[in-house]
Amino acid sequence: MSTLTFTLKSSPEQRIDCSLLTTDLLADKSAAEIAAIELVTGNTTARVDSLFDISGDDDQDIKFNNSDEKLDFVGRNMTGGKVTIDGNVGAYLGLFLDGGKIEVTGNTGIYTACEMKSGQIKIRGDAGDFVGGARPGYKNGMTGGTVIVTGNTGDRTGDHMRRGEILIEGNAGDYCAGRMISGTIAVLGDVGAHLGYGMKRGTVLLTQTPSQGIGANFNDCGSHTLAFLPLLLASFSKFDSQFSSIDSFDRVQRYAGDIGGIGMGEILVKI
Amino acid sequence: MIINGVTIDETFAEAFPMKGTRLIITALNAKWAMISAQTFTGFATSVIACGCEAGIEKVLDPSETPDGRPGVSILIFAMGGKGLAKQVETRAGQCVLTSPTSALFSGLESETEIALGQNLRFFGDGFQISKMIDGKRYWRIPVMDGEFLTQEKTGVQASVGGGNFLVLAESQEQALAACEAAIVEMKKCPNVIMPFPGGVVRSGSKVGSKFKALNASTNDAFCPTLKGQTKSDLSPEVESVMEIVIDGLTKEDIDVAMRVGIQAVCDLGAENGIRRISAGNYGGKLGPFHFHLQEIMA
Repeated sequence: MSTLTFTLKSSPEQRIDCSLLTTDLLADKSAAEIAAIELVTGNTTARVDSLFDISGDDDQDIKFNNSDEKLDFVGRNMTGGKVTIDGNVGAYLGLFLDGGKIEVTGNTGIYTACEMKSGQIKIRGDAGDFVGGARPGYKNGMTGGTVIVTGNTGDRTGDHMRRGEILIEGNAGDYCAGRMISGTIAVLGDVGAHLGYGMKRGTVLLTQTPSQGIGANFNDCGSHTLAFLPLLLASFSKFDSQFSSIDSFDRVQRYAGDIGGIGMGEILVKI
Repeated sequence: MIINGVTIDETFAEAFPMKGTRLIITALNAKWAMISAQTFTGFATSVIACGCEAGIEKVLDPSETPDGRPGVSILIFAMGGKGLAKQVETRAGQCVLTSPTSALFSGLESETEIALGQNLRFFGDGFQISKMIDGKRYWRIPVMDGEFLTQEKTGVQASVGGGNFLVLAESQEQALAACEAAIVEMKKCPNVIMPFPGGVVRSGSKVGSKFKALNASTNDAFCPTLKGQTKSDLSPEVESVMEIVIDGLTKEDIDVAMRVGIQAVCDLGAENGIRRISAGNYGGKLGPFHFHLQEIMA
């Protein structure tokens, strides 16, 4: 069995909905059946083999070569297996992901890991806005799993996030953890303005004080030794990430907020 | 069977099914982890009146604990899952939550689980924080010395309680010395506890009593002062009998602990006043697990 590979023939003029090319939906399909799948692109559809060169036969190990930022909904609703994307990818990567692993060598568009339930998404480049967020009009973002971003994330990372982990090795944009309900966001780099705006519960773990400071909507609770931190950091050791190698610590400055709301969220800054 | 001059009776210990779990208590240092563990396992010698049987299994190195701090693992057993859950919760709430710098974790994974910190969290009065780490839920409860961290649930498994053997010696001093030697060796065995004071019981019981209100009473057949008054099981030279009771997560764990303990007693031998090893045998009325002494020592 070799990796089932979709190599994009050329940069598409219209966005392509790739939600039909998942490990679940391709399971036990023949090469001919896969080639004949019609993908929505723009206001029409196109056969998979008209857009991609197809090789390999392992429907639980899928790869997109020569990927483009116009490939949307990759890994949607997937419950297992592995998807590797060589290059950039579009919006809604891993929408409703409920298991398995997605890895991207480039950047992702908006709404990465939107309403993700479990599994793992690893992005070696930058991620767009609303990582781990909820679809517009919906109240619950990701509810489980882990997102690892080697680069930076856009604005509103973890918007409406309910459970799970977002680990950012670079910087996070503005409104990080905005309207966050619960879960954990950890950032090794800097974070933008309005950190935790409207945050209800959950944890933002920072290894450095934000360059823009902590907002007035968070109250300083002082410096503390928190026993759960070594457990949390140890749980990162299994990841292929800088987070697996950071020295364990349990001393943090704790800020509680957003006090404009219920104020049960926390920003923990390593000291 | 005779080992080093000590007679091993052709009899068996009777044990009964229990439900058990392992908990791990950690603290800022080993001293406070032990204090918390000792408090948790206090007044837990026998289910007859304590509701559970509990004891310290092992002192844990920081590398062996979930949070990397010094710790102690304890085992607690009760006659059923509900009883165990109640004992775990009340003891955790009064003895670990209250103990400075402590944290409390499950040390046993099982499909069947009972609450550990699941209800203790309400002590946080709404300020408690839940954290899912590696698929397990933890509760962070704000307390006056910082935060009490506890796992939400702990696993429960079918276990065995009441494994035992009796040490028959020529004097109290010799019986006690033999039991102490046995406990030292038995404490090295995993998955077992000896729940009585120092691991040793001097008031072994039989099932039933002449008094209706009691369902257990002194084991008169092994009471040396009653040799002329009752149907005694003691020879004239035996002046003291002490018992070691063992609870374990499996029958095999108790087998190993009994073998190690009896061997330690026999190593002292007849020259140190040890005459016989016997066991609490109630004709099969007490429980389904039978530990035949001679088979164990074969």
